[in-house]
Amino acid sequence: MQNSKARMKLKKRMYYTLSVCMLLLVLLIGRTGYLQIARGDQLQKQAVEQQTRDRIINSKRGTIFDRNGKPLAVSASVETVTASPSEVRENSKVAPTEKVAAALAEILELDYDFVHGKITRESSYEIIKRRIEKEKADKVRQFITENKVVGIRLDADTKRFYPYASLAAHVIGFTGLDNQGLEGIEMVFDKNLKGSPGRIISAKNAAGIEMPFKYEKLVNPQDGLNVVLTIDETIQRFAEKHLETALIENKLLKGGACIVLDPKSGEVLAMTTKPDFDLNNPFDLQDESIKKQLQLLDDDARSKANEEELRKMWRNKAVVDSYEPGSTFKIFTAAMALEEKVVSLNDTFFCTGSKKVASHNIRCWKAGGHGSQTFVEGVKNSCNPVFIEVGARIGAVQFMNYFTGLGFTQKTGIELPGEAPGIFHTRAKFNEVELATSSFGQSFQITPLQMISGVAAIANGGQLMRPHLVKSLTDSNDNIVTEFESEMVRQVISKETSDTLCWLLEKVVADGTGSGAYIKGFRVAGKTGTSEKLPRGSGKYVASFAGFAPADDPQVVCLVILDEPSSGLYYGGQIASPVVRSILEDTLNYLGIEPAYTAEEKATLETSVPTVAGQTIKDAKSALSNQNLKAKVIGQGDTVLSQIPKGGIKVNQQSTITLYTEEYSEPVTVTVPNVLQNSVLSASDIILKANLNIKVVGAGASPEVGGVTAYKQDPPAGTVVEAGTIVTVEFRRIEAGE
Amino acid sequence: MKKGQIDFQFLIIVMALLAFGLIMVFSASSESARYNFSNAYFFIQKQIIWAAISIVAMVMLANFDYHRFGKLAFPILLASIIMLVMVIFIGEDIKGGKRWLNLGFASFQPSEVAKIAIIIFFSCSLSKNPGILNKFWRGLVPYLAIIGVFAGLLMCEPHFSGTVVLAGIGLVILFVAGAKGSHLFMLGSPAVVAGWYLIISEEYRWKRITAFLDPFKDKLGDGWQIIQSLYAIGSGGIFGLGLGRSRQKFLYIPEPHNDFIFSILCEELGFIGAMLTILLFAALIWRGIKIAMNAPDTFGSLMAVGITALIAIEVIINIAVVTSSMPVTGMPLPFFSYGGTSLLIIMCCMGIMLNISRHSKS
Ligand SMILES: [Zn+2]
Repeated sequence: MQNSKARMKLKKRMYYTLSVCMLLLVLLIGRTGYLQIARGDQLQKQAVEQQTRDRIINSKRGTIFDRNGKPLAVSASVETVTASPSEVRENSKVAPTEKVAAALAEILELDYDFVHGKITRESSYEIIKRRIEKEKADKVRQFITENKVVGIRLDADTKRFYPYASLAAHVIGFTGLDNQGLEGIEMVFDKNLKGSPGRIISAKNAAGIEMPFKYEKLVNPQDGLNVVLTIDETIQRFAEKHLETALIENKLLKGGACIVLDPKSGEVLAMTTKPDFDLNNPFDLQDESIKKQLQLLDDDARSKANEEELRKMWRNKAVVDSYEPGSTFKIFTAAMALEEKVVSLNDTFFCTGSKKVASHNIRCWKAGGHGSQTFVEGVKNSCNPVFIEVGARIGAVQFMNYFTGLGFTQKTGIELPGEAPGIFHTRAKFNEVELATSSFGQSFQITPLQMISGVAAIANGGQLMRPHLVKSLTDSNDNIVTEFESEMVRQVISKETSDTLCWLLEKVVADGTGSGAYIKGFRVAGKTGTSEKLPRGSGKYVASFAGFAPADDPQVVCLVILDEPSSGLYYGGQIASPVVRSILEDTLNYLGIEPAYTAEEKATLETSVPTVAGQTIKDAKSALSNQNLKAKVIGQGDTVLSQIPKGGIKVNQQSTITLYTEEYSEPVTVTVPNVLQNSVLSASDIILKANLNIKVVGAGASPEVGGVTAYKQDPPAGTVVEAGTIVTVEFRRIEAGE
Repeated sequence: MKKGQIDFQFLIIVMALLAFGLIMVFSASSESARYNFSNAYFFIQKQIIWAAISIVAMVMLANFDYHRFGKLAFPILLASIIMLVMVIFIGEDIKGGKRWLNLGFASFQPSEVAKIAIIIFFSCSLSKNPGILNKFWRGLVPYLAIIGVFAGLLMCEPHFSGTVVLAGIGLVILFVAGAKGSHLFMLGSPAVVAGWYLIISEEYRWKRITAFLDPFKDKLGDGWQIIQSLYAIGSGGIFGLGLGRSRQKFLYIPEPHNDFIFSILCEELGFIGAMLTILLFAALIWRGIKIAMNAPDTFGSLMAVGITALIAIEVIINIAVVTSSMPVTGMPLPFFSYGGTSLLIIMCCMGIMLNISRHSKS
C-alpha cells in the first residue's frame, strides 16, 4: 500500500515533468513556425542579400551615324579591372598581395599603394581601373594565369569613341564616366542609346568567394539602339572648315555658328559652333590662354572657373544663344507685306537717311540715305526706312501673328538640350516704335535655328517644317526601329509670295548687299544682316548671312553667324556672305546639283589648258584658240617644247599660254604686280598686261557686281615668276552695307 | 529475471533520429568540409563509424541488466569526479574551455560521463532509501551538495551549458523521486531572487542576457552567429529549400554541423521538417517517460526519467538557442550534432532505456 502510494506520487511527478517538456516543445514549434512563416520572407530576403553578388554587365551603347551611315560616335569594347579583396587575401599564399599590387600598378600605370590598398581592403568588390584597352587587358590576363592569381577580374565594358574627334561636337555631345549621355544627342537619346544593362547574380559564401553554383542567374544586357542623324558628315565638314577659317580671319571674340538645312524636309544637314572641342577629351579646355589664366587661380576658384569655361565651350550657339537678327529679318517683313498685299514690287519709297517714328528718329545704315527707290531696290539696298514704312503698313497685330506663325516665339523642338525660345515684345507693349525697329530685325532676339527654319519656310513654298536632327533609330542589325518623319508645322505664306521672295532674294545676291555669296552657275538667294550689340555704340557686332540655292528650287539653306568680329570688318555682307558662299558651293557640288550658267557667266567660265608640248606651233595655236586661249611663242623653234601654265590647269578664258620652242632658251620671267584694292576688271587688266594669268576667287566671281575689291593675291606682289603663271586673286565686298 | 520484449516504438524512434541525424550531418558539413579539408565526406565518414560503434554499444547495453549498474553507481561517480578534476589540468583547450580529455584515438568530455554518473548514482541511492527526501538536511541537502560539487567542477573548465544540463537532470530526478514541494520552494525562491539581483545589478550581464532578444543590434559581433541562424531558419519557409540546398552552410554559419545544425535543417526542410523533428523528439520523450512509468522498480524509473530528462533538456535548450529564444550557449542537439563520443554516450543511454523497457511490468 505504502509502495503503491509512493508509486502514484512518482507517476504524478513524471506526468508533471512530461507536461512541462511537451509544453516547451510546443512553444519551440510555435517559435520556429513564427520565424519560418511570419518572418520567413523578410529573413530570406536579408539572407539572399548577403549570399549573392550582383554584377552589372554594361549593355553596348548604340552608335550614332550620320545620314549616310558614317559612324560619328561608337562604343569600343574595353575592360574594367576589378578585385574581390577577400579572394585575393585567401589566395595570398599562392600570389602575395604585394606581388599582385606591384604587377597591376605597373601594367595599369597606377600607384602601387593605391592598388595595394584596394586589393587588401575589407570589402568584396573594388574597381581598380576602368576601361582599359585590349592590349593592357591581355597583359593583366596573362599575369593572372601565369601567377595563379585569384580574385582579380576583367569585366567587359565599353568606352565611347568619336572617330571624327571634334566634328559636330556640339550636336553629338558626349558621355560621362558611367557612359551616361551628358550633352547633345548623347544626352537627349540617352535612353535609346544605352539599352538596358544585364546582370549576373551569383552566389557567394561568407568569405566573399563566388560559388560555381546552381543558383547563378544571368540577365542578358539589351544593346542600345543606334541613332541615325540627318547630319551629312561631308557637308558638316564643309561648314566647319569654312566657319573655322572665318573664325580665325575675323578674330571672332564670341565664336560663330552655322546651320545647313534641307528646306523641304527640315532636316539639319550640318550644324556647328566654333570654337569647338574634342569629343574624346570633352573635359579638356581647348583654349590655351584660358587654361593659363586658370592656373593662376587658387584651387576652389579654379575648379569653379574651369567648370564655367567648360560649360561655355560646350554651349551650342546655334540653338542655345539667341541674337538680334538685324537685316536678315527683313526677309520676313518683306514676306508679310507681300502676303498681305500691302506693298507691290514697284511701289516707290524715299530714304532721306532717317525716318521719324513717334518721337524717335530712326536712321538708315547708309548716312545720307538711299534717295528714291522701288521696293525691290529697297530690299537690295537693305534700306531701313523702307522697311519701317512697310512694317507700319502690315500693322502691329498682323506683324505679331506672322512672327508667331514663323515659329519665332517658340522652341523649334529640335532634339537638343537647352534650346532657347527667343525673346520678343509682349502684345501689350508692341507699339509703333517697337514695330518699326522689329521691321528691320532689331529690339528682339531669336535663335539661329529659329532664324534658319523661318528662311527655310520662305524657300520651301511657305511651308514651315520642324527642323530635326534624327532620321531614325535602328537596332544592331540596322533594322529601323523608329523612323522620324518630316513634319510640317504650318503653311506660313503662300507659294506665290514664296516664289516672289526667292526671286527678290536672288537679286540681293546677284547685285545687292548679298553679292559676296554669289556663285557662278548657281542661283543663290539670301540676305545679309548686321546688328550692333547692346548698348548701341559698343562696337560689338553680330554679322550674319542667310542664304539658299538654287533660287528656283531650293535644296540647301545655310545660315552663318559671326559673333563679335574684331579684325576691322563687321558687316554681314563683308564677312558672313563669303562663308555661306563657300559652304553652299561645296555643298551644291557635293550634292551633284548641275550648275546652270547664264550667257554672261559662260563667257567668263574657266577653261582647261590643253597639253600642246610636242605639237607644231600651228597645231598648238589652234588647240589653244579652240579653248578661247591665246598663245605667246618664245624662241625660234618649230615645235613646242614646254608650256606655262601646264596642261590640265583651269584658267580664265582669254588667258595667255606661254609656249617655249627652244631647248635652252632662258625662261621669260616677270615680276608680279600689286593688284590689291582693285576691282575685278582692273585687276585682270593689270595681270594680263604683265604677261600673267588671273584666277578670280571669292565675291568677285560675279561679273556684274560692283563694290568688290581684291584683298588677297597669290603669289604676292614683287615675286619673280615665269611668264604665264596664274595669279590667284581673292575678292570680297568691302563696300559697307548690311 | 526473465527477459521481456524491448520497447520497439522507442527503438524505432531512436533509429529514425540516428539516421536523420546522419543525413543532416552530411548535408550540413559537406561544404565546410570541402572548404577546410577539400573533402566533402570528411565529417560524415567519421560520424558514420561512430554511429556504427554506438549501435553496437546500444545493443550490448540493451542486453546488460540495468540492475547491475547499482553496484557500479558509486565507482562511476568517483571516476567522473576524478576525470572532471583531471580535465581542469590536462584537458584540451577548445574554444575557450578545457572540456575534452584526449584518449589518443578519440577525445571525450568528462561532463558527458558526469551526467550519466549523476543519473545512475541518484537513481540508485534514492531507490535504496525511499522516503529520505522527506528530510531536509539529511535528505535533500546532501544530493544538492553533490550537484554543487559537480557544478563547481564544471564551472572551472568553464562549461556553463554542461552545468545547466547536469543540474537540471539532478533536480528532475530529485523532483520525480519525491522531493517535498515546500523544500524546493524554500531553496528555489531565494535562489531566484539572488540570481535576479545578480543579473540586474550589473548592466553588462543584463545586456548580455537580453542581447538575444535583438541580435541585429550587433550584427558583426556577438549577434553574427544567431543572425546567420535566423537567416537560415527564415530562408526555409514552410517547405524548405530542399535537402542539401542550404545556402547558409557556405561558411555563414560557423561549423554548421555542430550546435547550429537545427537551423540548417530548418533551411533545407522548412517548417514541416522542423516540426517533424521536434515531434520526433517529443515522441522519444513521451516513450521515455512511458518506460519510466512501466519500469519494475524505482531504480529503473528514476534512471529512465534521468536519461529522458537529459535528452529533453539538451533538445529544448539547443532549439531555444538557435531560434534566438534564449541567450546563446554551446549546446549540441542530440543525434544531430556532429561528435562521435557524445553520440556514443547518447546511444549507450538509449541502450539502458531499452534494457529497462525489457523489464517492463506490463
Ligand atoms: Zn536707306
